[in-house]
Amino acid sequence: MSVASLLAAADTVPAPDVEWSALSPFLVVVVGACLLLPIAGLLPRRTRVAWSALFTIAVALGAIGASAWVWHDLSRVGPTERTTVAGAYAVDKFSLFLIVVICVGVILATLLTEGYLRREDLPGAEAYLLYLASASGAIIMVTAADLIVLFIGLEVLSIAAYVLAGLHRRRLRSGEAALKYFVLGGFSSAFFLYGVALIYGATGTTNLVGIAEYLATHRLLDEGLLLAGIGLLIVGFAFKVGGVPFHVWTPDVYQGSPSPVVAFMASVVKAAAFAGMLRVVVVALSTHRLDWQPILYAIAVLSMIVGAVLAVVQSDVKRMLAYSSINHAGFMLAAVSTGADEGIAAVLFYLAAYTVLIGGTFGIVTLFGRRGDGHHDIDDYRGLARREPFLALALTIFLLAQAGTPLTAGFLAKFYVIQAVVDAGSWWLGLVAMLAATISAFLYLRIVLTMYAGVTDADVEVAEPTAEPVRRIHVPLGAKVAIAAALVLTIAIGVVPDPLTHASRTARPELVAPGD
Amino acid sequence: MTALLTLHAVTGAIAILFGRRLGRRAVYVAGLGPLVTFAWLIAEFGTILDREPITESVRWVPRLGLDFDLRADGFGALMLLLVAGIGVLVFVYSNAYFPPNKEGLGRLIGLVGLFAGSMVGLVLADNLLILYGFWELTTITSFLLIGNDHTDARARAAALQALLVTGAGGLAMLAGLLIVGHEAETFSLSGLIADPPAPSTALTVGLALVLVGAFSKSAQWPFHGWLPGAMVAPTPVSAYLHSATMVKAGVYLIARLAPAFAGPVGWWRPAVVTIGLTTMVVGGLRALRQTDLKLLLAFGTVSQLGMMVAVFGLGTADAVAAGSVLLLGHAAFKAAAFMVVGALDHAHGTRDLRRLPRPERGQRPVALIGAIAAASMAGVPFALGFVAKEYDLEALQHSPWAPGLVTAAAVVGSALTAAYSLRFFWGSIGRMATESPDPAVAARRSPPGLVVPGLVLTAATFVAGVVPDVLDRLVSASAASLRPTVGSVHLDVFHGFNLTLVLSLVALGGGALIFALRRPLEPVLALGGELPVTAATGYAAALRALNRTADRVTGVVQNGSLPIYLGVIVLTAAIVPGTLLLSGAWNDGDGAIVDSWSQAAIAALILGAAAAATALHRRFTAALFLGVVGYAMAGLFVVRGAPDLAVTQVGIETLTTVLFVLVLRRLPDRFEQRTAAPMRVLRIGVAVVVGLTVFGLALATGAEDPATTVSDTFIERAYPDGHGRNVVNVILVDFRGFDTLGEITVLAAAAIGAVALARAGRRPGGVRDSAAPPPVPLDRITVLEVSTKVVFIALSTAAIYLLLAGHNQPGGGFAGGIVAGAAVALRYISGGIESVRRLSRSKPWTPLGVGLITAAGAAIVPLLFGGSVLESGVHTLDVPVLGEVKLTSALAFDTGVFLVVIGLAMMVFESFGDDPPARSRDTAGGTR
Repeated sequence: MSVASLLAAADTVPAPDVEWSALSPFLVVVVGACLLLPIAGLLPRRTRVAWSALFTIAVALGAIGASAWVWHDLSRVGPTERTTVAGAYAVDKFSLFLIVVICVGVILATLLTEGYLRREDLPGAEAYLLYLASASGAIIMVTAADLIVLFIGLEVLSIAAYVLAGLHRRRLRSGEAALKYFVLGGFSSAFFLYGVALIYGATGTTNLVGIAEYLATHRLLDEGLLLAGIGLLIVGFAFKVGGVPFHVWTPDVYQGSPSPVVAFMASVVKAAAFAGMLRVVVVALSTHRLDWQPILYAIAVLSMIVGAVLAVVQSDVKRMLAYSSINHAGFMLAAVSTGADEGIAAVLFYLAAYTVLIGGTFGIVTLFGRRGDGHHDIDDYRGLARREPFLALALTIFLLAQAGTPLTAGFLAKFYVIQAVVDAGSWWLGLVAMLAATISAFLYLRIVLTMYAGVTDADVEVAEPTAEPVRRIHVPLGAKVAIAAALVLTIAIGVVPDPLTHASRTARPELVAPGD
Repeated sequence: MTALLTLHAVTGAIAILFGRRLGRRAVYVAGLGPLVTFAWLIAEFGTILDREPITESVRWVPRLGLDFDLRADGFGALMLLLVAGIGVLVFVYSNAYFPPNKEGLGRLIGLVGLFAGSMVGLVLADNLLILYGFWELTTITSFLLIGNDHTDARARAAALQALLVTGAGGLAMLAGLLIVGHEAETFSLSGLIADPPAPSTALTVGLALVLVGAFSKSAQWPFHGWLPGAMVAPTPVSAYLHSATMVKAGVYLIARLAPAFAGPVGWWRPAVVTIGLTTMVVGGLRALRQTDLKLLLAFGTVSQLGMMVAVFGLGTADAVAAGSVLLLGHAAFKAAAFMVVGALDHAHGTRDLRRLPRPERGQRPVALIGAIAAASMAGVPFALGFVAKEYDLEALQHSPWAPGLVTAAAVVGSALTAAYSLRFFWGSIGRMATESPDPAVAARRSPPGLVVPGLVLTAATFVAGVVPDVLDRLVSASAASLRPTVGSVHLDVFHGFNLTLVLSLVALGGGALIFALRRPLEPVLALGGELPVTAATGYAAALRALNRTADRVTGVVQNGSLPIYLGVIVLTAAIVPGTLLLSGAWNDGDGAIVDSWSQAAIAALILGAAAAATALHRRFTAALFLGVVGYAMAGLFVVRGAPDLAVTQVGIETLTTVLFVLVLRRLPDRFEQRTAAPMRVLRIGVAVVVGLTVFGLALATGAEDPATTVSDTFIERAYPDGHGRNVVNVILVDFRGFDTLGEITVLAAAAIGAVALARAGRRPGGVRDSAAPPPVPLDRITVLEVSTKVVFIALSTAAIYLLLAGHNQPGGGFAGGIVAGAAVALRYISGGIESVRRLSRSKPWTPLGVGLITAAGAAIVPLLFGGSVLESGVHTLDVPVLGEVKLTSALAFDTGVFLVVIGLAMMVFESFGDDPPARSRDTAGGTR
C-alpha cells in the first residue's frame, strides 16, 4: 500500500475539495518523512546520521518556506484564512505561525540530536523520522478545525514522542521515561476522546465551526454534558502542556529522555497542545468562557507556583528545567485563560520565544551531560564557567532569558502575558505570575551561580588534582549552529521584538465555515 | 540622550571585553560615559533649569505603546548631576585606588561604566516600562559588582542576597507598574503624574507593589539587610552605587509619584512616612554599633535613605524642595566619606575604627575631608547637610499627616545621625583606637587621586553650605518638575530663631550626648539592633522555608511511582468533569438500562469475574477470569441481538486468552507484593471514583440523541449498494472499506513490531532473560493430539464458512480469521510451535503480506474498470454442492482481511510461542 496510490485514488473518489497549495507546509513534512526512511536506508552507515539530519533540516526549512509562501498568499488574496478538506483543516495565519515555530523546534532538536547520536553511538535516522512524524502530527493539531482531526494529530504527535523518549536504548532511565509517558499519555488521550464524544453528544457535530455556531444560536437546557466534555478536553490538553496536576510525568520524562528530545518535547509538543487549546477552548467555545475560565485559572496558578517552588529544590538540572517548563506552561495558561485576543498573541509570542530558549538551553545541557548523558547533577555544573567559558556564558544568557530579564526574548514573553492578564481585569493572576517569576528566578540564578562559583572552593581544589583530568567538552558543529542561532534569536527578539510581536498579533485563529 | 546611553554601553562593553589588556587603564574608556554626560548636562543646564524639559523618543514596540521615551526635566537633571558628576569623581578615584593590574579589574571598571549608563537611563526614562528595564539593569550590574570577586564566598552570598531582594522587589514593581499603567491607561511617567488615575483597589495594589520595589531598592526597613552586605564590594563601587546613586533609585521613584498620589490615596503618607522614619531610626541605631567604618557608613546610608523616603513621601511643595536639597547634600557628603574610608584603608590596610591610628602629617587632607563630611552628615551649620536638615524638619512639621509624631521621629533620627557622624569622625582620626597602633598597619601616603575627588565634594558641601543660593535654580527647577505648583525656591542658611532651628540644635546636642554616653547607653542601643525579625534572619528564614516546603512536597507527589502519577491525573480528570456532568440533569434519557433477567445475570457474571480478576494473586487465574469477562460480553451481545459481534468477540477472547497464557509463562506466577492496607483503600477509592465517572459519562453519551444518524442510511443501503445482508460486514468491507484497509495495515505493522520486540527481548545474555524465570515447557498428551486434529479441521472449515457467508450472514473475514487463529492455537497447544510450523511451508509473514496485497488489490482493481476505489461488483455462480453462490468483489477484500488475521496469529505464536531453548531448560533443571 503506497501513498502514491492513495493520492491517486483520492482524485477519483468524490472527494472533498482539497486546496493542496494551502496544505503545502504539511505535505512537505509528511512527504519528507516518507522519503527520509528509504534515503536513510540507502546511505552508508557511517554518514547516515549526518546526512539524515541535513535532510530533516531541509524538510523543515522547506515547510517554513511553504508557510511563508502561504502566509504571503493569504495577506495578498484577501480573506485571511481558508479551510480545506471539507472544513477539517483551517489554514490561517495562526496555524502558519505555529507551523514555523514547530519547524524551528524540529531544526534545533535535529541539530542537537546529530551530535548526540554520534556521542552516544546510537544508530541514525530513526530520531529524525520520529521528529518529522511527530511534527506532522503537531501540524495537524495546529491546523485542525475538527475535533476528530485534532485527535488524530494528537495521537500522531504523541506516539512518536513516546518513542523519542525511549530513544536511548541502553539507558534504563530512557526506557522508564518512555513507558511512563506512554501509559499516562494513553490515559489522557482517552480522556480527550471522551471529551470529544461528549461535545459531539451535546452539539451534534465535531466541527469547530459547527460547534461555535450551534452554541451561538442554541441555548442548551442541560449543559452538564457539554461542560463535562470541555473539562475532559482541557484535561487532554493540560496533560500535553504539563499543567499541574497533570504534570506528574514531566520531571521523570524530562530527566530520563535524551536531552535533545526534551528540547523537542518542550517546544513542539507544547506548541501543538497550546494551539489546540486556543482554537478549541478559547475560540470555538468562547460562548462558555465563564465555565472554562475557572478551570484554566486553577491549572495556571497551580502550574506557576508548583513549577517554580519545586524547581528550586531539585538537584538535577534536567529536573529543574522540567519544573521550570511547568512554570512556563503556567504562564502560557494564564494568558490562555484570559480568552482575549491579547492573550492569544501573548501565548504565540511566548511559544516562539520559548522554543528558541529551550532549544538553546537543552543544547548546552546536552553538551554538559557528556557521554552517557548522565552528568546533570547541579554539582557537575560547578565551576564550568572556568572550563567552558563560552558555553557557560551562553547558558547564563538562556537562563536569564527564561527568568525574564529585559532585553531578552524571555522578558517580553512574560511581559505580554502579564499585560494580557492585567488587561483582562484579573490582576490578581498577574500578581501570582510575578510571584512565581520571582521564585523561579532564584532557580535560574542557582544554576548560573553554581557554574560561576566553586572554582576556588576548598573541596574542588582538593578534588582537582586527584580526579582524572576533565576533558574539554567537544562541541559538534550541529550543536554550535543550534546554540549560536538560539543565542542570536534570544537577543534579537529581545532587542527588536516588533516583527515577532506583529506576527503574533496578526495570527489570530479564525473560524470559517467550509463553504467560504 | 540616546547617544549618551549608547556611549555608556559601548565604552562599558569595550572595557569589559578588553579588560585583561587594559587593566586599570579601563577607567579612561569607561569614564568617558559619565564625563560626556556631565559635559552635556552643563551645556543643557540653562534650558532645563528654565523648566523646559528636553525630550527624545525612539519608536521601539509602537504596538504596545512601548517607546523609548527619554525626558530630562529639573529633577532628572539633579539626579543626572549626581550620577554623572560623582561618576567622574569615582573614576578618577578608582584610578588611584586600584593597583594597576589587579585580576578582573577591567571587567569591574567596565561594569561601573555600564551601571552609570543604566542609572542615566533610569533617571531619564519617561516610560514606566523603560524605567523598569533600566531599574533591573542597575540591579544586575550591582549584583555583578558586589560579587566581582567570585573567589570570596562572602561576596557571592552578599551579591546573591542583594540580587534576590532587589530583583524580587523589581519584579513586584513591574507588576505594580503594569497595574498602575493599566489604571492610568498610559505608561508615560509624565503622563501618569499629570493625570493620575482615581483611587481604586487595583490602584492600591499596584502602588503598594511599586512601593515594595522602591523600598527594596532603597534599602528601607525591613528590606535593608542587603545594603550592609553589599559593602564587600570595592570602596569606589560602594561610594558610587551603594550610597550616591543606585540606592536612590527607589527614592527617585517615590519622589516622582508622591505629589500625584500622596493626596488622593489615603494610606500613602502613613505608610511611606512610617517606613521611612522607622528605617531612619533603625539604621541610625545599627550604625552606632559598627566598628567597620564602611559598615557604619552603610547603616548611615540606610538611615539617610529613610529620611529621604519620609520627606519625599509627603509629596507636599515644601517636601519636594527639601528632599531635593537632601539628595544633593547626602550624595556629596556620603561619597566623600566613603572616599575617606577608602583612602584610610589604602593607607593603613584596615577600616576598623579600633585599629586606625591617628593621622600623620601626610594624612591631614584626608582627615579634613572626613571632618567636613561628618559635619555635613551630622547637620552642623555651614555645611550643606545643615541646610538640608533645616528644610526637611520644616517640611515634616507641615506634614498633613501626624506632624508632631513625624517631626519627633525625625529629630530622634537626626540625633542618632549626629551621634554616628561623631563616631565616624572620631574613628577616622584614630581617637577610638582601643589598642596601640598595630605595627603591621603601616601608613602609606595617600596619592592625590584619592584625595582630590573627596576635596571637590567637600568643597561643594562647604560652599553650598555657606552660600546655598547657588543651588536655588537647580532646586527650584527640580521641585517644580515634581510638583508644578511650586514656585521658585530660595535657600537660606539662617531662617531666624524658630522651632526648626531649635529642633536642629536639639538633634545635634542629643547626638553629642548619645555619643558621649555611648558606654552607659550600650544596652539600649543593642536593643535597636536586635529587632525580633531583622532583615537578615527574615531573608534566611524565608529561603529555608521555601526550600523545606518544596522538598517535602516533592517527596510526596514526585516519588517516581507510576501508580501515584496515574492516580493524581485520573482522579483530577474524573472529579472535575464528573462534577461538571453532575451539574446538569443528564440522566433523563430512556430509563431502561436492563431489558431482561438474562442481561442482569450476565452483568452479574461480568462484575464477579472482573472483581475476581483484580483480587486474585495468581496471574494465570486472573487472566482466565478476564477471559470470562470477555465471553460474558459476547453473551450480552447475543441477548441484544448482535450475533456477528458475538462471534467475533468469542473468537478474539479465545485467541487472546491463549496468547495471555503464552506470555504469562515467562512472568512470575504471582503478582508482586501487595501494598499496605491504607494504600489499598486509597487505590480502591480512586478506582471507584474513576469508574463511576466513566460510567456516568457512558450513560450521558448514550442518553443524548445525536442530531443525525448514519445507521439508518447504512441499513437501508446495505443490500442495494453493498450486495450484502450483513450490515456490519458491508460497513466493514464496503462503506468503510478504506478504514478497514488502514486497520489491517496497522495490524500487520503491529504484528511485525511485536515479533521484532519479542526477538529483541530474547537476545542472548540480555538482562531480561536472566531475570525472568524459565518458561514452563508444555507436556504432550496423545488423546489431546488426536482430538485436536479433528477439531482443527472442523474449526478450519468453520472459519472458511464464516469468511464466505459473512457478507449475508453473521461472520466475515475478520471473524473467520479469528476462528482460524483459534484453530492454530489449538494446534499449538497440542503440538507446540513445531506443529504450527508444520501447517504450511511458508513463513508466517507470507499470509500477512499476501492478505495485505489482496485487500489492497481488491481496493484498486475497480479503478481499472473505470470504477472508484473499493467499488463492489457482483457475480453469481451456480456451484453444485453449495448452491447459488454470489461472488462479490468484497469477498476478495474480505479474504485479504482473513489472511492478515491468520498471519498475525501465526506470527505471534512464532515469536512468543517457541519453546524455551535447551540452554535455559538445562539451567532450570540445574536449579531444581
